[in-house]
Amino acid sequence: MTGPAIAVESLSYAYGSLEAVKGVSFDVQPGEILGFLGPNGAGKSTTIKMLTGQLTPKGGSARILGVDVALDDPEVQAQIGVCFEEKNLYLQMTALENLEFFASLFGIRDVDAMEVLRRVGLADRARDRVGNFSKGMRQRMMISRAFINKPKVLFLDEPTDGLDPVTSAAIRATIREEADRGAAVLLTTHDMFEADELSDRVAFINEGEIVALDTAESLKLKYGTRSVLVRLRDGDGVRQEHLPLGGGGSPARLAELAASPDLLTIHTEEATLEAIFIKLTGRGLEG
Amino acid sequence: MSLARIWRVLRKDLALGPRSPFFLWALVLPVGMTLLVQVAFGSLFEPVPRIGILDEGSSAITASVVEMEGIVLERFDDAGELRAAVEANDLDAGLILPAGFDDAVRAGEQPSLEFFIGGESYAANRIILSVTTIDLIREVEGSAAPVEVEVVSFGDEGLPISSRLVPVVVFYALVMAGVFVPGSSLVEEKEHGTLMAMLVTPVRSREVMVAKWALGLLLASVMSVVTLMLNRAMGVRPLEVVLVVVVAGALSSMIGILAGVIAKNSTMFFGLVKGAGVLLFAPVIFYVFPDWPQWIAKLFPLYWVIEPIWQVSVMGESITTVWQELAIALGITVALIPITAFLARRMQAQMAGQ
Repeated sequence: MTGPAIAVESLSYAYGSLEAVKGVSFDVQPGEILGFLGPNGAGKSTTIKMLTGQLTPKGGSARILGVDVALDDPEVQAQIGVCFEEKNLYLQMTALENLEFFASLFGIRDVDAMEVLRRVGLADRARDRVGNFSKGMRQRMMISRAFINKPKVLFLDEPTDGLDPVTSAAIRATIREEADRGAAVLLTTHDMFEADELSDRVAFINEGEIVALDTAESLKLKYGTRSVLVRLRDGDGVRQEHLPLGGGGSPARLAELAASPDLLTIHTEEATLEAIFIKLTGRGLEG
Repeated sequence: MSLARIWRVLRKDLALGPRSPFFLWALVLPVGMTLLVQVAFGSLFEPVPRIGILDEGSSAITASVVEMEGIVLERFDDAGELRAAVEANDLDAGLILPAGFDDAVRAGEQPSLEFFIGGESYAANRIILSVTTIDLIREVEGSAAPVEVEVVSFGDEGLPISSRLVPVVVFYALVMAGVFVPGSSLVEEKEHGTLMAMLVTPVRSREVMVAKWALGLLLASVMSVVTLMLNRAMGVRPLEVVLVVVVAGALSSMIGILAGVIAKNSTMFFGLVKGAGVLLFAPVIFYVFPDWPQWIAKLFPLYWVIEPIWQVSVMGESITTVWQELAIALGITVALIPITAFLARRMQAQMAGQ
């Protein structure tokens, strides 16, 4: 297939009178990770639910692998993997049974579920009931289930939410592997660090609308402040000075401070995605 | 609709069944209720008269005992073995019919007859076997009974209470296995989000519904047949009984799926089944109290499956006598399909909106 794996045009959805998604448009290419960044209630999960067939769009259109999601085509569903925010596993089943059951729903007969569990570090717990797993292990199970059919399109809803840094890093590595394999990944998160590290492009969504969509680098350049922060010893304390880059008296002042015996550190002041989001929407990502 | 996907969901539910308390309860309750009814009304330990016969010729007495439904007969070739069986209380009585016994009786001779009675046998059984033996000898002799006995029954003649309770026990098998198991399974999948996890795979919601319905149908049919067998109520046409039970399972399971689709969570499901339980149970009461106006029972949906089970299994009627009831039961089942499908679509939207 050529063209985007996910193509969304003016997609909208309303819960009664509440407009949750207001005409969003974007696309995701094979092998690309698009980070959907926004606070709770911004419309991220609703967009994923429409794209995965859980909700029927009220307006606009969306195509997965070239097929309209409104057709609810099982052939398309066979090519997608979904990691829900809610950990919806069969707790009475073992890890292996969970994966084998879902593989069977995809019509996969020769699944190597152990290999999938090995990728997320659960091979040694394969025959344990998922009900006995910790929160982090269940999250890794969720990821492994989303990978079980080697999907061409992956929808990951807050895949590292509430996990410790080590587990989060491991899960991010496996997501990158999937993208490198050629899967298009739509990743929703309100973790700006995760979005920055993992995403090829980032979409800021707020109150159901995409307010910015570009690479993280471009957004930082476009909306960030070009300056350096200089920290100097000041008696018993520390004083700091912000110097804007690109003209004026800054270069001379920077050289002067760099030569000072009181100099402690010099840092570029690159804007964070969260700062840009706040700048664009007037609200934080945790809201 | 893919049969392969329906089978995979059904197979998963069957595999998870033994790990579910509802599933196990559906297996245990009808059996437990059967035992309770049989203990309470005496049919469990009902002493059936048991006689052993050593027939050295080919007596008509032996042939007559073979024809009797209420007496257990065991044939022997050796007098010592027969005697030992009676002594061990494996039999209530033993009878040795010498060769030419019938001819001797008919000739007016008085041939000797050995008749053993077990010392630990029930008095009622001794009387039944003794009187039956004397009656049969008199038949062989061709003589009339010395007295004519006029039997006067007190109270209403009818089926024993243990038979009239059969619909109650079968009802529990149908409701537990047919209504509770598929309904609660569906609600659990909704609550735990596993239903939504299935629906983002190639599985469609209608396939899940059919799999759950098949689970209820299968379990309700099996448990109803087991219950009828335990109650010795498989009738004279067991295949017809099975057919009637399958129709009953189909309707029960459809009601279970409907309740499961309507209920948002387990609390609501149990409330719904408890509330509707009176409506489900109502027709069964009329079998326990046959004097009540029977037409009222027809107002309730499960009447149309309980009545055919009653007629074909307990009353021994042919399935052709209840085809109208079965047609109505199937009609109700089919009518519930579009209603369930409509509510299932609404349920899916509600789940996704949560």
